[in-house]
Amino acid sequence: MSIYIQSVSHISIQKPLSEEWMESPVVPDSSFMKSQEPDYKLFISPMEARRMGTLVKRALATSLDTLRKGGCEMPDAIISGTGLGCVEHTEKFLNTLIDNDEECLPPTSFMQSTHNTISSQIALRLKCHGYNSTYSHCGTSFDSALFDAFLQLSLGKIRTALVGAHDEMTPDYFLMLSKLDFWKTHFYDLEQLRRGEESVSISGSCSLSRRLSAEKQESTLCELKDMEMFYRPGILQSQHAINDILLRNNLSIKDIDAVVMGLSGDRDNDDVYYELRDRAFKNTPVLWYKQMFGESFGASSFGVYVGAECLRAGRIPQHLFFFPEEAEKFQKEPRNILVYNHFHDKDHSIILLTK
Amino acid sequence: MEQLIEELKKEIIEVLNLEGMTPADIDENAPLFGEGLGLDSIDALELIVLMEKNYGIKLQNANEGKEIFKSVKVMAEYINTHRTK
Amino acid sequence: MGADDTYARLLEGRSGIGKMKYLKSKHTDFPVGEVPFSDDELRDILFIKKDASITRTSLLGATALREALASAGLFPRDKSWKLALVSGITVGGMEKSEQYYYDFLHTRKRDEYIALHDCGACTDMIGQAYPFGFDMLTTISTACSSAANAIILGANMLKMNRTDIVVVGGTECLSKFHFDGFNSLMILDTKPCRPFDKNRNGLTLGEGAAYLVMEREETARQRGISPLCQLSGYGNRCDAYHQTASSPDGEGAYQSMMEALAMAGLQPSDIDYINAHGTGTPNNDESEGHAMMRVFGDQMPPVSSTKSYTGHTTSAAGGVEAAISILALIRGFIPANLNFSEKIDSLNFTPVTEVKQGVELHHILTNSFAFGGNDSSCIFSKIS
Repeated sequence: MSIYIQSVSHISIQKPLSEEWMESPVVPDSSFMKSQEPDYKLFISPMEARRMGTLVKRALATSLDTLRKGGCEMPDAIISGTGLGCVEHTEKFLNTLIDNDEECLPPTSFMQSTHNTISSQIALRLKCHGYNSTYSHCGTSFDSALFDAFLQLSLGKIRTALVGAHDEMTPDYFLMLSKLDFWKTHFYDLEQLRRGEESVSISGSCSLSRRLSAEKQESTLCELKDMEMFYRPGILQSQHAINDILLRNNLSIKDIDAVVMGLSGDRDNDDVYYELRDRAFKNTPVLWYKQMFGESFGASSFGVYVGAECLRAGRIPQHLFFFPEEAEKFQKEPRNILVYNHFHDKDHSIILLTK
Repeated sequence: MEQLIEELKKEIIEVLNLEGMTPADIDENAPLFGEGLGLDSIDALELIVLMEKNYGIKLQNANEGKEIFKSVKVMAEYINTHRTK
Repeated sequence: MGADDTYARLLEGRSGIGKMKYLKSKHTDFPVGEVPFSDDELRDILFIKKDASITRTSLLGATALREALASAGLFPRDKSWKLALVSGITVGGMEKSEQYYYDFLHTRKRDEYIALHDCGACTDMIGQAYPFGFDMLTTISTACSSAANAIILGANMLKMNRTDIVVVGGTECLSKFHFDGFNSLMILDTKPCRPFDKNRNGLTLGEGAAYLVMEREETARQRGISPLCQLSGYGNRCDAYHQTASSPDGEGAYQSMMEALAMAGLQPSDIDYINAHGTGTPNNDESEGHAMMRVFGDQMPPVSSTKSYTGHTTSAAGGVEAAISILALIRGFIPANLNFSEKIDSLNFTPVTEVKQGVELHHILTNSFAFGGNDSSCIFSKIS
């Protein structure tokens, strides 16, 4: 059974519902970057939108857009990854609870704070009775959602799946994470992120929907060949996992044209990737994406998107190379791309994409 | 009474986030649920909170809302009789 | 706590629902289903230091996890088998966040709980409480059907050989956020919940945790473990009707039960007992009842909702009720549905009101439904 990524739509720091970032990416100018919003009226009526927070609107817009692109009306499954759900509504309910001493609380905010509201409101809009689920597992929420779809497509239980990653950053949550040294220093330019000497990653909101299916189409981006998730592996086990996934797909490390890594500029995060680079990917070009899409619980979805889009386009734009000298040398049409993601060196994932 | 009806319309638009609507768009005699404005059970809960917060009226059971929220006019009459603030 | 204690209480008809003790809500007129241990007592049980930062959701989860792993011969574990944990969690660390929120925003105290707030962090803490480690962790968050969906993902992972053993279930503790949330929807009963009763007036919020250890038959054989039962079928469907309400005809529930039956290759008449979702809200019980009537017609098997014992343990419910169903299957009894007195007019059945012992059960169906219409069903069968 082959599994294909048919279409992807996103709302992020970059131009929404567009691939313009391939040619001319928006360069962040602060560590708290806001998303660019599309015109939601094109997707949602005001009556429908009355209870929706920003995140649900984004999720619906990207879902409807990605289904339309591939001409699919009804997916067999809707699966989302969201680390924190609708933070806006959660904060509203929590603040009211504290300020009003548990009186006169807004029911809408409670309802919208449950993480599964995203997948279920997509289903409600599509009238989709198919499989519906939501993963909330920190920085591998999306990877988990993709894994679920991958398993069910492989088992033949479903033929199509809408898989999304949806997370938002609010000023209060940004402040709290700052206290945990997530954004220690003021951001000034990309070179600072590249050096990774400090702790400066860009925070982003993300909403990305993609459609997977068992049938190849003209619009297909690439094949989702295989994936694996593992916990606290240590470098040796990571290497084993990479070798395993290559071996069972009859590939060797030489066949991998590029590896997409979640390098963000935060030293603690990046060290794991540097070590992997030294041990496993010495001669493989490294691509990065968090400088464009920011760091968030759903950021890894952009890693898969960037890899898939390069395979579709048959080329890798220079700005994606983490080491500028690799960009100059790279000339070929990519055929196989590995996406490696980890969260706090606890949860790791490897995703293999092929043309 | 007229004033209370106008005030209520504004509050309903705000609390239910009825984007693009003005008080003039709401017919005070039209049903709020189903055919009329097309509100549902969660909107009813929001209206219950509105009555408690702004008029000091506390309902014990969501079912009581069914009669009270028949229209803006009926709601205004109920508030007029039962308000504590 | 524990399988034997649960069994004893179910036989005696002793409910765990009562007055609030640990939940510090001002709305004390509502009963709750609390786990009768404080955080410190749970820390002692788990040998976790008094001053260690950990959420109650994780404490409950780690306690249940330990019992599950020990009874499956995984304490310690043989590392040659891959072991994964899939946990259902919804509000996670909120019970601490709501206490320390002011500190999070305005002081430098309690910062460590910021990082423990989200669902994934709670699963991570549970994973860390197991000294022999997992090879993979993830968290499902589909509100009240989370644990049932964890069972489903775990089963698919086993079928695809992506793990050898998987621990599935869920955990959730009571918090003001969750409790006041349900109260804002006006679906809490001031009396202990009365599932399937004509005069039912809402649910009783509970807390808890439960995990099942699942593996393929040949793995169990090679490990020398005799399995308790077989997961013969499961279904996950979406009602797609309303953000909180269930449809009058229970379409999502109907489809998820039918999917589970089809996968198990069973007829409705093969089901010997239904452990219903049965929350005690007017809407759920009527909708679920209609869906059951569509599946079983006038041949309704014995039905009960054990939420009358535990309260609605939300994310854990699918695990708690799977565990109760498995106990019923292997020890041959049907738990009663407490607090029932009058039949719902539009339904053709009444729940079991007295515990039935010494019955031979082969297949048990258990339902877990959630807001947003996330409906899941599992069938557990005796190993033939």
